[in-house]
Amino acid sequence: MRFSPAAGIGLVLSRFMGLGRKYGVEWWILLAGALIVLAILSMALFSGVIAPFNPYNQNTGPQLAPPGGKHLMGTDNLQRDVWSRIVYGSQTILRVAVLAAIISSVFGIILGLISGFWGGIFDRVLSLIMDSIYSFPGLILAIAFAAMLGPGVINITLAVAVIYIPTYFRLVRGQTLSIKEELYVEAARAIGASGPTILWKYIFPNVIATTVVVYTLNIADAIMIEAALTYLGLGLPPDIVDWGMDLAMGKKFLPSGQWWLITFPGAMVSILALGFTMLGEGLAEILNPRLLER
Amino acid sequence: MRIAKFLLLVLVIAALAFLPARSFAAKETMVYGTTEKVIDMDPANAYDFHTWEIFYNIYQGLLRYPPGKTNLVPGLAKSYAISADGKEYTFKLRKGLKFTDGTPFDAHAVKWSIDRVIALKGDPSWLVTDFVDHVDVVDKDAVKFVLKNPVAYFPSLVASCPYYPVNPKVYPKDKIIRDPSELKGGKLVGLGPYRAVSFKRDQEIVLEVNPNFYGEKPKNDQVVIRYFADATTMRLALEKGEIDFAFKTLNPSDINDLQKSKTIQTIKAQGPYIRYLCFLSDTPPFNEKVLRQAVAAAVNRPKVIEKVFLGQNAPLYSMVPMGMWSHIDAFKTAFGDGNIAKSRELLTSRGYSESKQFAFDLWYTPSHYGDTEVDVAAVLKDQLEATGMMKVNVKSAEWATYRDQWKNKQMPTFLLGWYPDYIDPDNYTAAFAGTAGSRGLGIYFSDPEWDKKFVEGQKETDLKKRTSLYKEIQRMWTNEVPTAPIFQGTLYLFAQTDVQGIMLSPTLQFNYGPIHRK
Amino acid sequence: MGNLSRYVITRVLLTIPMVFILLTTVFVVLRIMPGDPVGTMLGGHAPESVIEKKKEELGLNRPMAIQYVNYLWQVCRLDFGDSMVFKQRVTKAITEKLPATIELTTFGMIITILLGVLLGAYAADKRRSPQDNFIRLYGIVIFCIPVYWLGLMLQLIFGIWLDILPIAGRTGPRVFASTFEKTGFYVLDTILVRDFSALRDVLIHLILPSFTLGMVLSGIFVRLTRANMLDVLKADYILAAEARGLKHRVIVYKHALKNAFIPVLTMFGLQFALLMAGAVLTESTFSWPGMGRLLVERIYLRDYPTIQGVIIMFALIVAMVSLIVDIIYAIVDPRIRY
Repeated sequence: MRFSPAAGIGLVLSRFMGLGRKYGVEWWILLAGALIVLAILSMALFSGVIAPFNPYNQNTGPQLAPPGGKHLMGTDNLQRDVWSRIVYGSQTILRVAVLAAIISSVFGIILGLISGFWGGIFDRVLSLIMDSIYSFPGLILAIAFAAMLGPGVINITLAVAVIYIPTYFRLVRGQTLSIKEELYVEAARAIGASGPTILWKYIFPNVIATTVVVYTLNIADAIMIEAALTYLGLGLPPDIVDWGMDLAMGKKFLPSGQWWLITFPGAMVSILALGFTMLGEGLAEILNPRLLER
Repeated sequence: MRIAKFLLLVLVIAALAFLPARSFAAKETMVYGTTEKVIDMDPANAYDFHTWEIFYNIYQGLLRYPPGKTNLVPGLAKSYAISADGKEYTFKLRKGLKFTDGTPFDAHAVKWSIDRVIALKGDPSWLVTDFVDHVDVVDKDAVKFVLKNPVAYFPSLVASCPYYPVNPKVYPKDKIIRDPSELKGGKLVGLGPYRAVSFKRDQEIVLEVNPNFYGEKPKNDQVVIRYFADATTMRLALEKGEIDFAFKTLNPSDINDLQKSKTIQTIKAQGPYIRYLCFLSDTPPFNEKVLRQAVAAAVNRPKVIEKVFLGQNAPLYSMVPMGMWSHIDAFKTAFGDGNIAKSRELLTSRGYSESKQFAFDLWYTPSHYGDTEVDVAAVLKDQLEATGMMKVNVKSAEWATYRDQWKNKQMPTFLLGWYPDYIDPDNYTAAFAGTAGSRGLGIYFSDPEWDKKFVEGQKETDLKKRTSLYKEIQRMWTNEVPTAPIFQGTLYLFAQTDVQGIMLSPTLQFNYGPIHRK
Repeated sequence: MGNLSRYVITRVLLTIPMVFILLTTVFVVLRIMPGDPVGTMLGGHAPESVIEKKKEELGLNRPMAIQYVNYLWQVCRLDFGDSMVFKQRVTKAITEKLPATIELTTFGMIITILLGVLLGAYAADKRRSPQDNFIRLYGIVIFCIPVYWLGLMLQLIFGIWLDILPIAGRTGPRVFASTFEKTGFYVLDTILVRDFSALRDVLIHLILPSFTLGMVLSGIFVRLTRANMLDVLKADYILAAEARGLKHRVIVYKHALKNAFIPVLTMFGLQFALLMAGAVLTESTFSWPGMGRLLVERIYLRDYPTIQGVIIMFALIVAMVSLIVDIIYAIVDPRIRY
């Protein structure tokens, strides 16, 4: 059969719709989430093209101009363009959230694998530590860490990362414990595979699949924690554009009617977090419909 | 069923919520809103302006400032005399005064209080110990302060909080009190016009007229200070008429709106509060005064005020604030504002150019001076970089860390603010450029010539000679630039239109007594 | 019951190392923090010698190990020392602020459960209908809205634009807490002294903060309740009840909900940590004079003893609540494995 573009697109589309029919609402949630994430991701990647002004430019127009005309989302008291700051701000929040999720997943997965596989006193102690951290309000812990480390992109990333390590640890440790008992692992052991080999070749690949969903949801949560820390003034130095910080700055203009200074940065945090959540939920429902029910 | 009961409960609560509000008592109560905090409860340890303001209404000094004025008048002392060498001050006390519990007020009480401050070594105790050698009781009604060195501005020190006499029968001799409940009687009472009847930290303080006060009776019965956690809420409370007046500190945007309001009156006064940029002046790069000058030249003060403070506050061209004797606009004459050409010229002379930019860190602290500070730093960065030859890295640290860093010489330039300890040019100059004071503020400026001038200024009693001396120091400032002044705070107080008798003073002393409703 | 009491004892014993680990973390984290608390405490103008003397007094020059032992001993006695910045005992600062936080979280919780459980049950009942989809969407969206931003938006709408609700504080400026305060729980206090106008004021000040806090968490409860209800509604006894001709509403909101509620209750133990975190942010947004605000304020000032005290207090509260919830769950649901 000769390839025709129209037929190709038609095929893709019908597959798409087919998925929609098969999974129903979940499919649309996944799609919407992916679109939101893609949109904001491209905002971060092509900030220079999208933003009309430099986010630090203190002379883009009148002071505290309401949205409209040259300024899609108005200007702040230093005559900076709010929309441009939103566009550039996406870089900061995405960088922190994604990096934090990577750091915590790496630590959590490794520790969880080891702990679950070898067990013993090490497992007991580590589980206890992880459970204590897990049960404590994450934000309060992050506040303490952020204050300890001082402002900075790396520091805030670490502060956010710390609180998610237990999430991965608990998930991976549990999975490892059950996979360890599976027949094929027993078989591998019987033919004399070493501990690290079993862990790496048989257990790790099976565990990693389940962390994908958690990873996405984790980013969504990290986004909100990052914004919360900078909102409280604990996260970042001021010469970095950030939504949480802009929100905190705009707060004092609340009663004078400059609503745009708080509305847009906060809405962006919500939308981005929502994007990742929907992505995660959609994935979860499609990959494993029972995972999130409880 | 349980849910139905629950809903019923919620309904009942909601119904209660809409019962009519109680009308307020007949007593003339003035409600004063502020975002400040009370840090301390003992005159021997209090060292912040808001606490001092309250204490100024509860206690009384030997000398005092009349409402809204900067000249000293007799307080608990009727008069004083200075010995020929300027080292002994003898105060004649008012007769027949009694503390609330009947304890008579006399020279012993004064000596006891000063000795207590010295012994307790509280935070502001240096305002006594640096100057006073010891206190002698001359007789029941006369007390003599013997100084270590002659100090021209000793009377203004005597008017400050650590010098307030307290009741020896009520205050513990050997311990700083943390809470009024630790006092005998459990209430803060002194010889001033008010006494505190209730104290709830961060919420409210209730002051009532002190029936034993010797002076003019306050025109209200009660002042309640309401503590607001943020300016936004305070502004709304003022607009709704829930508080009678609001003082310190509203956001620039709120001040702007309130000034336009027809139902709120604005009371404005020059504050003694100054803001400036410090240079770490014994360490490269800012050990070179030319670079300090280059930064000072590029600063555009009116623009900072316009952008960050929406036009409030006043540009400041000297470390000695406007309104104080000897003030001159030294920096305006020497550099002007946003003098890019001059700044470029100075930078070029040190070998910098647009391709070889002068890069340095500019530090600020994000909450200690309010949340406008980040904007101040951002605007300064923008102004300095407008020269095209400077690259400014803005960095921030919370106050505790900030202090650590200035001690450890980690901040080449940083923003600071100053509230005076006493009202004298000495406290605005020697504190920054005298060797000892300068080290304490992380500036590390030291010049024996300058130190000599400061000592001269402290000893000299003739006002004319002192004036010309401090004018000279201000001119010298533009050459050495240990610090660059930026602006002077304007005090804004907003009140309901029927409130009268509010007098703000550049000394920051604020009497509640004259305030009343029309 | 032997089993149950053994479970309770194990559960209590498990709480101890948990709290201990948190205490240690707090200690280590705070000692590494940069900053000069003593200098801050003394204000801007104190000479070096005074600062050194104060450090000596506070034991900050002693070896870490000794500081650590002292610290643990202090915590055991629930004595957190003096604030470094304010002349105030930390225990006093905390006991002053704790009721405000508890009052806020209690009301927040009530709203969470009311909103979450009712919406969840309704959605389950109307499964796959537009209402169901809408409620599920609400469950996802509301959870992604940062609590402080939701707070700011509610302030903007109800406090500024509509101007019908106060946006901050526990009472209006003309309602003086000193006239009714006894326990620190203002709702209770005003009822005790029968000052109903003050009660009204206290309640309207609670509306926005508790709704903000309650709404954000309600998302989770919507989903939990819905999922559990779906299971329960399929159960035999529900079908039997239906067959017997009981009113549909009674079946869903009484019998089914009761059974779906138990698993939701256990989740509550875990969600409580989230509620506390939410309270910190809500307090900051609404200037609510509770522990969260205290924590954030004192972090700026590097007031170690107070920060330490507040975090420990949070840890104790969280541990306590999860302990209680677990025990209640064990009593309510006999199927639990001890």
